[in-house]
Amino acid sequence: MFAAVILAATASAQPPSYKAPRTADGKPNLSGIWQALNTANWDIQGHAAAAGPLPQMGAIGAIPPGLGVVEGDELPYLPEAAAKKKENLANRWTADPELKCYLPGVPRATYMPFPFQIVQSAKTILFSYEYASAVRTVNMETAKEAPIDSWMGWSNGHWEGETLVVDVTGLNDQTWFDRAGNFHSDALHVVERYTARGPESLNYEALIEDPKVFSRPWKMRMVLYRHEEPNAQLLEFKCVEFVEELMYGPLRKKTGK
Amino acid sequence: MIRAAASIAATAILAATSALCQDHPDLQGIWTSASVVPLERPASLKGKEFYTEQEAAENAKRVLGMTSWERLGGQAPEHYNMSQYGLDLSQVKVASTLRTSLIVGPDGRVPPLTPEAQKRNAERSARNRGHQFDGPENRPLQERCLIYSTEGPPMLPSAYNSNLQIVQDSGHVAILQEMIHSARIIPTDGSPHLPSTVRQWMGDSRGHWEGQTLVVDTTNFTDKTAFRSSTAGLHLVERFTRLDKDTIVYEFTADDPATWVRPWTAQIQLTRIEGPIFEFACHEGNQGVANTLSGARAMEKAAAEAARKDSK
Amino acid sequence: MRTKLAISSVCAGLFLAVGPVRAHHSFAAEFDIKRPVKLRGIVTKMDWINPHSWIHLDAKGPEGKVVSWMIEGGSPNSLLRLGFTKTALPPGSEVVVEGFQAKDGSNRAVGQFVAFADGRKLFLGGSAPGAHGDSDK
Repeated sequence: MFAAVILAATASAQPPSYKAPRTADGKPNLSGIWQALNTANWDIQGHAAAAGPLPQMGAIGAIPPGLGVVEGDELPYLPEAAAKKKENLANRWTADPELKCYLPGVPRATYMPFPFQIVQSAKTILFSYEYASAVRTVNMETAKEAPIDSWMGWSNGHWEGETLVVDVTGLNDQTWFDRAGNFHSDALHVVERYTARGPESLNYEALIEDPKVFSRPWKMRMVLYRHEEPNAQLLEFKCVEFVEELMYGPLRKKTGK
Repeated sequence: MIRAAASIAATAILAATSALCQDHPDLQGIWTSASVVPLERPASLKGKEFYTEQEAAENAKRVLGMTSWERLGGQAPEHYNMSQYGLDLSQVKVASTLRTSLIVGPDGRVPPLTPEAQKRNAERSARNRGHQFDGPENRPLQERCLIYSTEGPPMLPSAYNSNLQIVQDSGHVAILQEMIHSARIIPTDGSPHLPSTVRQWMGDSRGHWEGQTLVVDTTNFTDKTAFRSSTAGLHLVERFTRLDKDTIVYEFTADDPATWVRPWTAQIQLTRIEGPIFEFACHEGNQGVANTLSGARAMEKAAAEAARKDSK
Repeated sequence: MRTKLAISSVCAGLFLAVGPVRAHHSFAAEFDIKRPVKLRGIVTKMDWINPHSWIHLDAKGPEGKVVSWMIEGGSPNSLLRLGFTKTALPPGSEVVVEGFQAKDGSNRAVGQFVAFADGRKLFLGGSAPGAHGDSDK
């Protein structure tokens, strides 16, 4: 038996399998409020701390360090795309769609520095993100094709044992992966895997495929933590009103002329 | 192998239970609030809360027979053709009802505003007069893609895309409105409202079940939403009752002593539709604010140039 | 309790007009009723987006030069529910547009009426309600 345990551990490289409590329809219950505890939204690759864009913001506006969430820490950009990433990075303080409170897309919505809530029912799983009231519904019945592109994509889901597998297509090319200019095209295809690792956390994995931008698929992986505080709930971060000056200021009527 | 056997046994036991953990009504599905009946009863129908079946049919026929241009009223003619895009009321599923207005009761109208509210409105109008195109904050919330005028709570039928999706888990009822992709997640676990210092555009909703009805209590509004001139003190009670497979009766009572002389109640039938709800990414595609302000600046410039020419 | 639409006589005077609906925003501030446009052009792309869809087309200007226009339309969500997709208006389609130009003079117009140049209606066409059949203006 001892040998079997060692064999199992090396074969899967996962902690012993945890089985989440079940919903009424017998599926692992992933309902709850979750949040990533990393700095992937700043940069999905490993990064040291750095000064931010505004000196007057001092340490508040500085960039925190992070280990990165990309398997192998390498992003296999095609040559032209690598140049585009460099350009995005150089322009990030004006070009990042997050600046304008635009919907973050998938997978970025998962690791924004805001909680999200899963409301799980048999036919539909709702993902509601506090950031910008971003939302998406995962169709758990027969998979349907995306009729058009959208910011949050088109999600079809199914169960593989303990894992919720979400296949996301129909993503437009308007979102970034992070604030460091990592980007994708409208050919992006994301396969997410959500697996309970204990009563208070999930293993999250996203397989990224985009043949217009990357030479091969790559994976990101992170832990999502359950909000345990009493009466935890999502609040509103309707950021549109915070960006109107940025976006429409120049069109404002000039007074005193 | 032992794990697999246990899993099969667990599934067999759980398959016998209902779709939701607790034995609560299932409100789930995709619903439309589209209606041929206005919020307020026309003055000529005062005192008449219900049509006969024949009158209701005639009214529906008349309303659905209007052209999109007639329906747009003051927003025509500089407007795209609604029916071309399937956005006309006649092109979507509409609830059938015998009501003459969504507001219930003998009066069928929003109660009179308090003197305080009238003063507030007059002051707001005066402040905005001549400034409607100064900056984004002078534009309607809907045009700014902050919140739709009918988004609520309370939820009202909108000109189009009057759709919502309800998803439930054992402790929450989530209402996803198509416009503007808001998901109101209502806890039914008896937790208290947010502290009074935390105010939100959509307030803070708490739900509980009374038999077959979901009762939702909403407070903590900001003063920015201003639902029909109301203040941050707006208190809303909504009731959702599943009537049959294809119908939910949705009722709300709005109470704000600083705004209306008495609370008022409206009842809207939600009818099941096939859907799906599509993403309504409003802000991301919004050209309205920029183009409106740009147009205003152009008109001002033209007027200034014309004045310069005249004074020469 | 379902009420079927019955054919009946009109009860004159009993019913007043329903209040007007409000679409996303009023266009009077954006587009100029004193600048009507009539365009014929080739679609380069259509943005199936909200709050308004946009048809991009290239039209021949008065001097024969090609001018790119953006034509504002409605939310596509209802069309999508009816089964329309991007293929409903492929690039290269020739369309005719009647509408009003933007107040700021840019090559933007609200598309009051849009149809294929060969006479076919675009999407659901017409200004009359779909339930009563179409009558293109």
